[in-house]
Amino acid sequence: MFRLSGKIAWASLTRRGARSILVVLMISVSLWGLLFMEGISDGMIEQMVSNAIRSDSGHLSLFAEGYHLDPDLSRQVTDVEAIDDFLENDKRVLSYVKRIKQDGLVATAHYSRGTKIYGIEPEEEKQHGGLDGYLFRGKFDFGPLQRGAIIGFKLADKLQVRIGSKIILSAQDRYMEVSSVSLKVTGILKTNNMAIDENAVFVASKKARQLLAVDKDVSQIAVILHDEGQAPRLQSDLQQKFPNLEILRWDELYPALLQSRMMMENFNLITSLLIFCIAALGIFGVMLVSVLERLREFGIMMAIGTRFRQIGNIILVESFFLGFFGFGLGALIGGGTLYYFKIYGLDLSIFSDAFNEFGMDAVTHAIIRPSYFFTALAAVIMATFLSVLIPLWLLRKAKPIETISKI
Amino acid sequence: MLLRLALRNITAHKKSSSITALLIAIMTVLLVFSSAWMDGSHNTMIQNSVEIYPGYIQITGKEFRNNPSYDHLIFDAATIELELAENNDIAWFGPRFESFVLFAGEDKAVGGMLTGIDPEKEEHLSRLSASLEKGEYLGAGDTNQIYIGYELSRRLKLDVGNEVAFIGSGADYSFAADKFKIKGIFQTGLFDFDASTAFVAKDYFDQIMAAENYATHFIVLPKQPGQAEELAVTIASSIGPEYQVASWNQVMAGLVKAMKLDSVFGYITLGIIFIVIFFVIMIYSFLAVFARIREIGILRAIGTTPKQVLTLLLLESSLLAFISVLIGGVIGGAVAYYFHFHPIVFAGMEEQFKQYGLAVSAMPTAFMPLVILRDMAVIFVLSVLSTLYPILKINRFRPVEAIHHV
Repeated sequence: MFRLSGKIAWASLTRRGARSILVVLMISVSLWGLLFMEGISDGMIEQMVSNAIRSDSGHLSLFAEGYHLDPDLSRQVTDVEAIDDFLENDKRVLSYVKRIKQDGLVATAHYSRGTKIYGIEPEEEKQHGGLDGYLFRGKFDFGPLQRGAIIGFKLADKLQVRIGSKIILSAQDRYMEVSSVSLKVTGILKTNNMAIDENAVFVASKKARQLLAVDKDVSQIAVILHDEGQAPRLQSDLQQKFPNLEILRWDELYPALLQSRMMMENFNLITSLLIFCIAALGIFGVMLVSVLERLREFGIMMAIGTRFRQIGNIILVESFFLGFFGFGLGALIGGGTLYYFKIYGLDLSIFSDAFNEFGMDAVTHAIIRPSYFFTALAAVIMATFLSVLIPLWLLRKAKPIETISKI
Repeated sequence: MLLRLALRNITAHKKSSSITALLIAIMTVLLVFSSAWMDGSHNTMIQNSVEIYPGYIQITGKEFRNNPSYDHLIFDAATIELELAENNDIAWFGPRFESFVLFAGEDKAVGGMLTGIDPEKEEHLSRLSASLEKGEYLGAGDTNQIYIGYELSRRLKLDVGNEVAFIGSGADYSFAADKFKIKGIFQTGLFDFDASTAFVAKDYFDQIMAAENYATHFIVLPKQPGQAEELAVTIASSIGPEYQVASWNQVMAGLVKAMKLDSVFGYITLGIIFIVIFFVIMIYSFLAVFARIREIGILRAIGTTPKQVLTLLLLESSLLAFISVLIGGVIGGAVAYYFHFHPIVFAGMEEQFKQYGLAVSAMPTAFMPLVILRDMAVIFVLSVLSTLYPILKINRFRPVEAIHHV
């Protein structure tokens, strides 16, 4: 039965070939546009989030209580060994690093600037967030004597320093005394995390401890998980075990990123809805005309014993054919476009100044999620189904059998 | 004759005409409003960022912008002041001396920017005095009184009346240190700015930093901010080649470009929507034209030339497009006009704006008739183009075929 409806539907579609192709093209173009928009904007946001996670916050960050609001050497994580023990034995944890942080002043012979000093273990950071992947100039290494410093590219710009330049780092140590150390710039980082690029000076953990007169305590423990979804659970588990720590997820540390992500999602949703309403209008017009111009044909079919339901089936199948071909073609070119941009990236380097301003990567790698295609398919089916409702209703009202006798 | 026929044809097919008209009008409203919104929000953001502190025009030593060290200061501020005072297009101007220092409170030290300003002139040049949060703004005769950013005061754990010390280097690279009393606290809303800057009266600043008659830059407020660029050129020629004069779109090139980028993304999204609408209009005109295939066949059979049919159909689609674009343009323009005077307020988005260094949450749209006309023209051309394929296709039928077409 369905084969017959299918055959008839196919025949009517091919009889109006140009029209059918136009509709299929329209659906596929709208799908292509949607997929492209979704994939690129998701790619952009995820890159920003991943930059923040890799370069700073991890999925979770552990601080001493009150540190986040008032970063101070008096507020440090002290029971490091117990935390080490917990994190090493927790299967959800992929990796974690310990950092010591303090605000300070970085100066060259001509110029000085406020800065955030990060004491890190370079090998651990490489394993953890791949911080070396952000290297812009120089080496990700503090040299044999640990007298090197790796600094953010915007800070380097403002200080007018290059690889090999001497800088002087001053900060208050644990006893409130200002102490200084002279270092050589060995590397410049471009993470596109503005907090890092504008302020950070990374030094060897050992050097930082000397400078700040801190023995074993750490300021931040950044944790990356196997699966981001487990972050809230691990957060509460850790909180229970270590009640006097402040444990924050990346989205609590970078609320603006979360907001951008939500704004982008809303924006995409509105645009998608708009596009689908317009596309549905297109399908509707075609289905309406195709039903009305075949009133006689349907009348004759009903006169020789076809039921209204069967005719309804034919019309539905027709619109589904249009929808499926449109979806297939759209998914193919849309998916292909996204795949291309996933591999090669969308390069908007002409706007690199702007991206630097916003803290975004100039090259965006698209993301492809199966959910894009499922929601698009659902939307296409909805659109095709809704667009035949009114034509079907009109058809029933028109009483096709009676139209045979009219000329 | 053709015109009357076209009009009659449009009114005869009310349904398909009105759907096409509706689509074209929606498209016009969308485009007109989006451009007004994008231009308006970008202008607001730029204007805000410019007026809070950086100013419309900055005069610096020639090399200072590329290499902001004490070697490239303005070493003769008095002469520049004389030059600027003679220019009638300048509303206000004033010198600043910026230096990076380490501030220290009771038990906390924070790096930041200490700037010497002329308090009275600065009142007109930036929004510093208007951003007063607590205490008082600086006065002309103030000595060791400091006007400090809210976040900075919080980081130092200090309040109005407390003392803050600083260590830095003077203009002659000598060691400079002093103690200030906090006179006032300001909050511009730009987190980074509020977390790192403090101001003192320049006369006193000059004494402690050995910066008499020196400045890192001058800020100029033009009488007509729209002509900042031209004014910058005039000033540059009057003060000579040792100095560089930059208008805001050079000083804030990153922000200006960022706004352009935002527009590009906006237009890409609109473009995608328009491609879909383009197809829908094409489909509708395809349907409309084919519904009249017999009529057209008969017209041809009684001697109308293909060219006349083409003109007639084109005239119909242009007329319809023109009317719809007009309606859309008026509605879109009205919406843009309304939101120009009743800015859209974004509550709860301050966090994100702050991250981008923007201290605004109310955005007016830009009501610019020329831009609206441009948008209307774009849509008009687009919608006429979209009817071209069906019209050309139907004109290829032979009259007999057309009459018998089912």
